[in-house]
Amino acid sequence: MSIADAAPTAVVAGLGRPDRGDDGVGAEVVRLLSTQDLPGVSVQVLEDPTALIDTWAAVPVAVVVDAVVSGRPPGTVITRDVGARAEPLSSRAWGADASRGSSHALGVATAVELSRALGRLPDRVVLVGVEAGSVDFGFGLTAPVAAAVPGAAAAVLAALGLSHRPERSEPVDPAAPAGRVEAG
Amino acid sequence: MTTTNPATGQSLHVGMLARVEGEGGMDIRIRDGVVESVALNIFEPPRFYEAFLRGRRWTEPPDITARICGICPVAYQSAACAALESICGVAVPDHVRLMRRLLYCGEWIESHTLHVYLLHAPDFLGYDGAIEMAGDHPAVVERALRLKKAGNDLMALVGGRAVHPVNVKVGGFYRLPTWEEMSAFRPTLQRAFEDALETVRLVATFDFPDFEQDVDYLALRSRHGYSIESGDPVTTGGLSFPVADFPRHISEHHVAHSNALHALLDGKPYLVGPLARYTLNFDQLSTTSQDAARQAGLGPTCRNPYQSIVVRAVEIVYAVEEALSIIDGWSGQPEASVPVPPRAGEGMGASEAPRGTIFHRYVLDDEGIIRDAQIVPPTSQNQPSVERDLQRAAQAWVDMDDEALTHRCEQTIRNYDPCISCATHFLDLRVDRS
Repeated sequence: MSIADAAPTAVVAGLGRPDRGDDGVGAEVVRLLSTQDLPGVSVQVLEDPTALIDTWAAVPVAVVVDAVVSGRPPGTVITRDVGARAEPLSSRAWGADASRGSSHALGVATAVELSRALGRLPDRVVLVGVEAGSVDFGFGLTAPVAAAVPGAAAAVLAALGLSHRPERSEPVDPAAPAGRVEAG
Repeated sequence: MTTTNPATGQSLHVGMLARVEGEGGMDIRIRDGVVESVALNIFEPPRFYEAFLRGRRWTEPPDITARICGICPVAYQSAACAALESICGVAVPDHVRLMRRLLYCGEWIESHTLHVYLLHAPDFLGYDGAIEMAGDHPAVVERALRLKKAGNDLMALVGGRAVHPVNVKVGGFYRLPTWEEMSAFRPTLQRAFEDALETVRLVATFDFPDFEQDVDYLALRSRHGYSIESGDPVTTGGLSFPVADFPRHISEHHVAHSNALHALLDGKPYLVGPLARYTLNFDQLSTTSQDAARQAGLGPTCRNPYQSIVVRAVEIVYAVEEALSIIDGWSGQPEASVPVPPRAGEGMGASEAPRGTIFHRYVLDDEGIIRDAQIVPPTSQNQPSVERDLQRAAQAWVDMDDEALTHRCEQTIRNYDPCISCATHFLDLRVDRS
């Protein structure tokens, strides 16, 4: 039975658009995590925050990695617990919803609060945010954000209650649909 | 957020236009109770993707352009494939066209559902947003999520992934779904069909201000059925031309206050989108969706942008029905794609994105390298008409207080379901009364 078949005990989702500069940091952190052995943890890249509502529906713990724009120095890593046991977010939480180059009207905070209103929010949802330097069109992270990727990955592991894990023998493609066999 | 400028009087400043895709901006200037000007200030990045495509191979646009819009990637892939295949002299087999139509149905379902329930319905029900609405109407929001998921899952079934479908290529697909996979998806579509009919019943109960648009409507019309993946442009003004002629009729212009390009049809503003499709192609809708439209109070045409939410709901019904019909009629042809060897030339393609007609134009050299690319998304085609509607709306409601006026103007913009990330960057809303 593969990791993809077993029901996950935790979900890690990297959000953002890789074509909008530092907005691709979520995918980069997830890519780094996919090289590590994390049994029971479903690690994936998502570009639509509303997909979180279904993705985390049946797990007790979810960690979401995303770029944020909050006025802090680029590359700053911040974490915030927004799960069912935590206080509700305002709709302008993170600043990311309102002011970054998001391609989606419904950002992470909305996905969280919508899930909370529907009783679908996991007990623990940790948002790991990396302050963006630039979200202009273009591929690739700015230097301070690229340098923050390992620290953000460590914050994800800490949120999962895990320390640094050994590398997987075969990295999982975090962008592949879970449980599907890719066309050969 | 409201700020007051002592020099010019009150100005309203909203950091982001809520509940549209991406971000955008609006300035209204009112003097002595008369709306002097309305400007959509759209800070468009410097046509990043058109520039990015130059120098790329003819096989790359489906993957590259799908990134432009997270909600309508299939629209970009579809128009790109049509343009490139026309340059290379390739017509895909009909079963491939049908599979593309099936994929596109998934996109219509998820995009329209997102807009109807989570972006637009709160306006009509008196809520600030979907979260507040979910508190009072959890079953409605659960239905929205279920229906949106059905659309996303259909896109994953055919396209390989719900966002940026990786299974699409010039010439067809890398892999066709199996009959077993499609068959297993039928119950989800059957549930979605019931949810879609409920959606029409819900939006039919909303109050709609009287508002008639007099601008020309443009949509594709296809001999294969209500236009989604293919067709040639027709207009309510009686114009009809092949897709290949679109550059002769549709011109893009820079406007001083906006960095998005505004498009004109033979020099005049026009509109694309659900109202245009519905008004031009009502006869091609299924009997069930026509009946649903009539029961919701619509006739065979619709020119009230506030009722666009009803038309979108009807199109969700049609898309679900069409998806079931394509699956049930599947011929079982195994060929996932046809070869598309490169040729030098220029080609145009178009399809009906959820928001309206999207046009692509490419120029290839004889090695298939892209020498030029032009992308005309529906939202930028609608900009001039959106501004005219905003001016009328602002004038009609000029006596309201600023907060109510702001809300009405935002609601008016949301009638168009503008995919501002396809054309724009950041949004501010300013009302300046002097």
